[in-house]
Amino acid sequence: MNHKVGRRCPQRSAPREDRTRKNLQTPRPGALRTATSCHPSFPAGAALLFVALAILFLTGCNKSDSTAPAPGDGKQLTIGVSFETLQTEYWVAGFNAIKGELKQRNIKMLEAVADGDANKQLEQVRNFITRKVDGIIIVPKDAKTIIPSIKAANAANIPIVLFNRPADASAGTKSVAVVADNFALTKETVAYMIGEAKKSGKKHKAMVIMGDLGDINAIGRRDGFDAAVKEAPDVIEVVSRVPSEWNQEKAQAGVVNALQANPDISFIFTSSDFLFPSIISALKSSGKYKQIGEPGHVILGGFDGDATAYQMLKDGYLDATGVQDVYFEAKASVQAVLDMREGKPVAEVIKDPGFVIHQANLKEKAPQMWGANVKQ
Amino acid sequence: MTATSDPGARPANKFAAVFASEYLVLGLCVFYFLAFAPFTEGFASRGNFSNILITLLPLFILAIGQTVVLITAGIDLSMTSTIALTSVVGGMVMSGENGWLSNNPTAMPVAIIAMLVVGALVGLLNGFAVTVLRMPAFIVTLTTMMFVGGFAVWLTKSKNIGGLPESFLAIGNQLWLALPLTLTVAIVAHVMLSRSLFGRWLYAVGHNSRTAYVSGVPVTGVTCSAYVVSGVCAALASVLLTADAQTASPVLGRNMLLDVIGATVIGGTSLFGGKGKVLWTFFGVLFLKLIDNSLNLRNLADWDIRIVKGGVILVAAMLDALRNRLAVRGS
Repeated sequence: MNHKVGRRCPQRSAPREDRTRKNLQTPRPGALRTATSCHPSFPAGAALLFVALAILFLTGCNKSDSTAPAPGDGKQLTIGVSFETLQTEYWVAGFNAIKGELKQRNIKMLEAVADGDANKQLEQVRNFITRKVDGIIIVPKDAKTIIPSIKAANAANIPIVLFNRPADASAGTKSVAVVADNFALTKETVAYMIGEAKKSGKKHKAMVIMGDLGDINAIGRRDGFDAAVKEAPDVIEVVSRVPSEWNQEKAQAGVVNALQANPDISFIFTSSDFLFPSIISALKSSGKYKQIGEPGHVILGGFDGDATAYQMLKDGYLDATGVQDVYFEAKASVQAVLDMREGKPVAEVIKDPGFVIHQANLKEKAPQMWGANVKQ
Repeated sequence: MTATSDPGARPANKFAAVFASEYLVLGLCVFYFLAFAPFTEGFASRGNFSNILITLLPLFILAIGQTVVLITAGIDLSMTSTIALTSVVGGMVMSGENGWLSNNPTAMPVAIIAMLVVGALVGLLNGFAVTVLRMPAFIVTLTTMMFVGGFAVWLTKSKNIGGLPESFLAIGNQLWLALPLTLTVAIVAHVMLSRSLFGRWLYAVGHNSRTAYVSGVPVTGVTCSAYVVSGVCAALASVLLTADAQTASPVLGRNMLLDVIGATVIGGTSLFGGKGKVLWTFFGVLFLKLIDNSLNLRNLADWDIRIVKGGVILVAAMLDALRNRLAVRGS
């Protein structure tokens, strides 16, 4: 490895392999000209051809199922689904929920994952349009870069629904967004936590972990938290606001610092459940991770309803979390596409009310909680 | 130009000669297209051609820059971060929301010039470290990638910049603007590599920098310039990508690196230096894009596409290594 890198360094004082190997190639003055007329040679072509054939063969065989004709009247509808990423549990759950919903309605699904790349996502939307899909459901990379995609879909007269993440307002674009009611659901969740806090009869010092404040979902959750604690000034005093920017390491460092500055914090709300592992490790290292009912229990609440939160609820550590109803959102997205196709009026924003899951309703609500259905 | 180094082409060698042709990859593209078109809905449609073209142009510009660096036996891993940084700088200059020249008629040209200058500066930094400090290109451009990418995020606090002027956005969605731009870059690069003294110096440095140095080639300047060319190409690609996304973003083009290097190597440009052409690179880009587009249209999952693309690039790189070994043995 070393000697290869060394050769890239042009002025190095002639390492040994330069003399032995490279000089053999070009001792002649004519070498400068012949260098330009090298060409891909025989094995390259053969192998690339082979790969091309292999691709054709592989992809040619496994696609028969998706083109099965639709029973009943009319042609089968096709909906293109593009996700920004499938790297967190929530998105995977959403993806599978949409897949299931489309299958149930016998709609063909074209899938694409943009892998966090806005240009790629736009390319995928254009590919959907090329394939003349009947509708598009998309998790935008972000609120701004999605606008060209919406414009392209509008121009092609294809309904487009944004799943769980709204777009910035832009003149002349038409889309429907299905999003969780972050504000209301957070407020409700925190109100439940405050109810638990009241039972102790003492005043609690609170910490809130905020998301990326460039994300409208994070802002809604922060505002929901603020609105709830404002109503109970005699129970809750917010002593620490940790910015996480949706980053686990950042969250963990912030929580550790906050617990050092205020060791008597006894009330923590996180804007997303995926930050719980960071909070747990910070609490454990200061000996404050206790079950509900144990003395010294820190009242915990979150948002999303993922598998970690479900496990914590079951084990009796987590007081409450606001669950985004991913199944509702999937259903509403598909329904919105169909309604738009038929020209029915559809609200520009469809809100998923979600629900608060806590110790008292755990059994009853768990089947609707996506985190309880994720295989770990 | 199809001649092999062995001019006495016996009949038995004709078959090999076809494969040895520098148009082989183009042939593969045509073959691939013809083979897939009947089975892939929408592959051969007009809308799809323009879709392929729009996404192919920025990749081609990037690959041209990479080709120039690879010819000098270097590598530029910082291209994608340069895209992000230049995108952000351009956005900060011309955004109608809070840009420095917000709603000023000169905003768009000034922004593009600023982008090109920043791209060139990143290239200069790479070139300086590789030549004057004599650091390996791999680690130099890898760290530049981290540094520049992080800097772009820091500049914007990871927020995207919208409100770009309409005149700028037109570059992204109007093929008649993007296409001539790309063609100009390609023609300039082609002439530079094949007809100019500078081009010959580039190959000489890549082939053997020591010999080149002894022969009087200004190795430091030539190598450094290659990285500057690469940086400018990244900035130009960033113009297209930013306009296409209608947003300046600090994570723009983040995943394009393998596509860029892959397309260049598939075209036949050697990772060992001294060998490469703009035309080959175009064929490589076309081939990779056709694979990408067709598999996407065939509704393959993201990871399937990545596996196939990775496989193709791996094969191309393996063959490059093999060719290099054979060339050494042959001489």
